[in-house]
Amino acid sequence: MSGLLELHDVGIRFGGLQAVDELSFSVAEGQIVGLIGPNGAGKTTVFNLITGVHRPSAGEILWQGRPITGARPHRIAALGIRRTFQTIRLFPEMSVFENVRAGCHLSVRQRWWQGMLRLPAQRREEAALAERTHAVLRQLRLDHLADEPATSLPYGLQRRVELARTLVGDPRLVILDEPAAGLNEAESAALSETILAVRASSITVLLVEHDMSVVMKVSDHILVLNFGRLIAEGDGAAIRDNPAVIEAYLGRDDAAEEAA
Amino acid sequence: MMAAAPPVRRTLRRRGEAIGAALWLLGLALPAVLDSTWVAVAAIFAIYAITALSEDVILGRGGMFDMGHAVYVGIGAYVTAILNIEFGWSILATLLPAILLAAATGALLAGPLIRLQGDYLLVATIGFNAIFVLAMQNDLAGLTGGSDGLTGIDVPVLFGVELASQSAMFWLDWVVLGIVVLLMRNLDRCEFGRTLRYLKQDELAATTLGVDARAAKVLAFAIGAGLAGLAGTLFAVQLSTVSPSSFVFTESVTLFAIVIVGGQGSVPGVLLGTALMFVVPQFFRQFAEYRYFVFGFAMIAVMVLRPQGVWPRRALGK
Repeated sequence: MSGLLELHDVGIRFGGLQAVDELSFSVAEGQIVGLIGPNGAGKTTVFNLITGVHRPSAGEILWQGRPITGARPHRIAALGIRRTFQTIRLFPEMSVFENVRAGCHLSVRQRWWQGMLRLPAQRREEAALAERTHAVLRQLRLDHLADEPATSLPYGLQRRVELARTLVGDPRLVILDEPAAGLNEAESAALSETILAVRASSITVLLVEHDMSVVMKVSDHILVLNFGRLIAEGDGAAIRDNPAVIEAYLGRDDAAEEAA
Repeated sequence: MMAAAPPVRRTLRRRGEAIGAALWLLGLALPAVLDSTWVAVAAIFAIYAITALSEDVILGRGGMFDMGHAVYVGIGAYVTAILNIEFGWSILATLLPAILLAAATGALLAGPLIRLQGDYLLVATIGFNAIFVLAMQNDLAGLTGGSDGLTGIDVPVLFGVELASQSAMFWLDWVVLGIVVLLMRNLDRCEFGRTLRYLKQDELAATTLGVDARAAKVLAFAIGAGLAGLAGTLFAVQLSTVSPSSFVFTESVTLFAIVIVGGQGSVPGVLLGTALMFVVPQFFRQFAEYRYFVFGFAMIAVMVLRPQGVWPRRALGK
């Protein structure tokens, strides 16, 4: 199966720890792929490998069939891959608006000297950037918070700002690291709708999430990771019934009900 | 909804800009009320302020510990002196080569050093400053005149008018300072200025949004060094002489301190820092060396009581 993003036997070792081992999977264009697994299974590490934060010690990562293994993060971003972080990384001294506008960086055409001389072309672009940023803020119902200091917002809203910052850059693939963490039930449900809406605008989504209601609701395909290895993959129903998953991820029978 | 900054902040910014413009206009009248000694102090203040703003591009905005900034001022000053004295160029014609050579040196130095983290970069730039001073003292390529430096730099000629008086020279420096302040204001509001803020506030997040950290930092170094080269030309003209002792390590330390004490990334902060570090000590000349003693205590006090600087950048500036 060829996909938008493919991992072939990817591995990384931190000192004595094999954090990810011979991991292969494929993300098809237009899909929402969920990556789940117990704490410490290596999910965030997989994201760091894809986005160039870590360089794999083995294997190959392909984007539309071309190798991108070990490319620096800004190169990965230029391909149209954007991500959020498990530990929300908003710019602390900037407003919501400024944080989201930062996501436009790669499409900005003005040169530094045009900016320092404040030439007409640069001013026009500034206005266009503001307009585009406000459009995404409205889309994610954040427009009334545009001027708030981003990191003063509650967790759920900060996550939404981070998502807006990825979407404003017209990505091909969005990688979400635990987008529902710290959200209440209503917010989680709203998040599921948002993720489905993102996919509807032909953006592929790869997400790590512990909230099973979100994962089961939105994912077309689920990958289960344990100790850095892929132990199962399939749709929601297949994963739920997979004995290896129940044993490794859920542990006990009563936990399986919770997941369902 | 086109407004990028909220109304209150925008009003504050406009008011700040209006006050700044008024102060600058008032400054033009300084030669009318000061004797020539103090006009010279005002001229050197303007040159120092340009230099400090250029250091701020690297240190305050770029977040890179540049402790060798006097080197770039020195390059600008020496380029002007050599081209004028040895090759007969007019002062104005030396301006561009002074800026470009300083900027190129900054970029070339930054290239390999940029990977160094804070304190390591700091030590490396100190080393570069020491090498520069030694090279100048040893009459590099027979052009720099050794320890005594070079003397006899012409006065600048602008539109056929010789800027021979101290007042005329002050006005030149004051106009250039005004232009540099405008450039800094624009830098604050353009993508490159924002890119430096992204990197300073969260480099990992910035790079995953597509920011090429290395390119941005090298460019910041080049711009900061180039503006320092510009200040170097003005410095050479003001003193009509250049010598290695003007560009030693302690000068770099002063520039570093001006930015930290004044407020990183803040134009009013850096200007205020320059005034505190340079103009105020002139009032205490009768205390001779002790003025720096008082001054050292003042620096410590600011860092303890107001670690973000006397006039910090507004946290949510546009």
